[in-house]
Amino acid sequence: MNHRGGLALIRRTWLSWMQQRSFFFLLAFMWMIPPLIYLLVWSTAAGGGTVGGLTRGQFVAYYLVLILVNQLTYAQTNWTVGDVIRYGNMNTLLLRPLSPVYDALASEIAGKVVYMAFMIPLTALLALVLHPELRVTLGNGLAFVPALALAWALRFFWGYWLALLAFWATRADALLGLQDSLIFLLAGQVAPTALLPGLVRKAAILLPFRYMVGFPVEVLTGQLDKPALWTGFAFQAGWLLVALFLFGIMWRSGVKRYAAVGG
Amino acid sequence: MDAQIVVEDLVKVFRVPEREAGLKASARSLFQRHYREVEAVGGVSFTIAPGEMVGFIGPNGAGKTTTLKMLSGLLYPTAGAARVLGFVPWERKPSYLRRISMVLGNKSQMLWDIPPMDTFYVLGEIYHVAPADLRRTLDELVQLLEMRELLTKPVRNLSLGERMKCELVAGLLHHPEVLFLDEPTLGLDVSMQGRLRRFLAEYNARSGVTMILTSHYMADVVALCPRVILIHRGRLLYDGELAALALRLAPFKLIRVALSDGGAESAPSLPAGVDVIEQEGGRLTLRVPRADVPALTAHLLNALPVADLAVEDPPIESVIDQIYQGGEV
Repeated sequence: MNHRGGLALIRRTWLSWMQQRSFFFLLAFMWMIPPLIYLLVWSTAAGGGTVGGLTRGQFVAYYLVLILVNQLTYAQTNWTVGDVIRYGNMNTLLLRPLSPVYDALASEIAGKVVYMAFMIPLTALLALVLHPELRVTLGNGLAFVPALALAWALRFFWGYWLALLAFWATRADALLGLQDSLIFLLAGQVAPTALLPGLVRKAAILLPFRYMVGFPVEVLTGQLDKPALWTGFAFQAGWLLVALFLFGIMWRSGVKRYAAVGG
Repeated sequence: MDAQIVVEDLVKVFRVPEREAGLKASARSLFQRHYREVEAVGGVSFTIAPGEMVGFIGPNGAGKTTTLKMLSGLLYPTAGAARVLGFVPWERKPSYLRRISMVLGNKSQMLWDIPPMDTFYVLGEIYHVAPADLRRTLDELVQLLEMRELLTKPVRNLSLGERMKCELVAGLLHHPEVLFLDEPTLGLDVSMQGRLRRFLAEYNARSGVTMILTSHYMADVVALCPRVILIHRGRLLYDGELAALALRLAPFKLIRVALSDGGAESAPSLPAGVDVIEQEGGRLTLRVPRADVPALTAHLLNALPVADLAVEDPPIESVIDQIYQGGEV
């Protein structure tokens, strides 16, 4: 492990990204549009009453938190891993005494800082206009932090192992598109998990996608009772272990293959 | 002195998918892929001593870059062995990677949007170079390459040659003991090529770094490498001095003559073995066996109204071309 080099890499990536901040602001804006649409749909549907036990203000709170969580956990780096492999740029990374995963982590961390510089003021502004109804208890606030951290790790490593398929298949990024679609459907964007119809809800609870976005949002907005909270954490940790395991296998055999066929 | 790089019977065979052109073949290849085995390097052996500058030459696809990639740890060989600085390169141990460097003429490790200085700082950290040492090395390299004004410009605003200077600095910041240079002068203008060559020669003299260089510009090899290793179709054809190779391949010299009467007189009678390879107005170029040069020169001076006469070695490019075409030395 070469943490010294890794930290320097994060700093450099951040400097580089700050040069292109308007591009990233636009990207961040694009990512917030779908949840914003569903915010408007559900809060209109709730009107003066409730839908699935949630009031208009609670829907607003749910989706505003979701907008932030979605941006904080979105692993945009995974989209570039395939190109790095395909165009032989992995060579430069492999020649250094530093694991290439640091490059991905560096742009992850650098990216979050740039996005948040844009997203936090914008969400605050939306909150002023839309009046969310959010009462965060100490317990929910404390549980939210690990839920968010695990969600980021799960989404990052799940996407990374898929992206590493680029060692074998030319356009593995199609799978990342599929992952994004499944997250859209099953991770609480179209509707909070509790509102999904029976079979889809079961799938959402069993599959990893809810634990990448929806779960931390449900934790913070107080939608889960104690058993549901602990089951959620168990699923989240379990899927993260699976993702780390797959990432480890893909990485080792991928680099071996790269060294066999050349970049 | 002990060898720093030892290569024994190194072999690399690639499995390449292939299909014929057209829609039908494309559809067929979805279900049944055909592979062909291509031997890029077919049993190459050599040793290199510390501080040597060796030129790797050969036509496109000869196996030069593949060999360099195996020695820098980017590729696994199919068979054979290699040790560089006592390490097996393709194990890619961090302690090995810290002691070598590879500069690729067609790949950049500079980040496009920020000034080179930021990338140099990161590389210093990645390779654990002490800040004071980094400053000193950077000062020295920047002075040698005359590039101080480039340090604060974003890389995207630099010319190709300026970027190459940055690549060289980036590759040398951690004082590598072995430097692999793959086409470092690719696409550069003549004066930039010359400057980089002078830099590499001086850097080698100062630091004693071992360099292996591949280049298609023979001028690079002539200027920098007393020893060349010639690879063709994955096999080693020659390993030795460049001058000796030229002598062996081209046992003749060129005599260029300019006549004062503009070529009014007919050409002189020439002894056997001498060819006129160019004749234009009062200018003649003759190809003469080396042994015959003194006698023929005297004969020409006596027989013709010579205004100017020069004896030259044939251009190295044409010598090398002869091997690339013929495939043997």
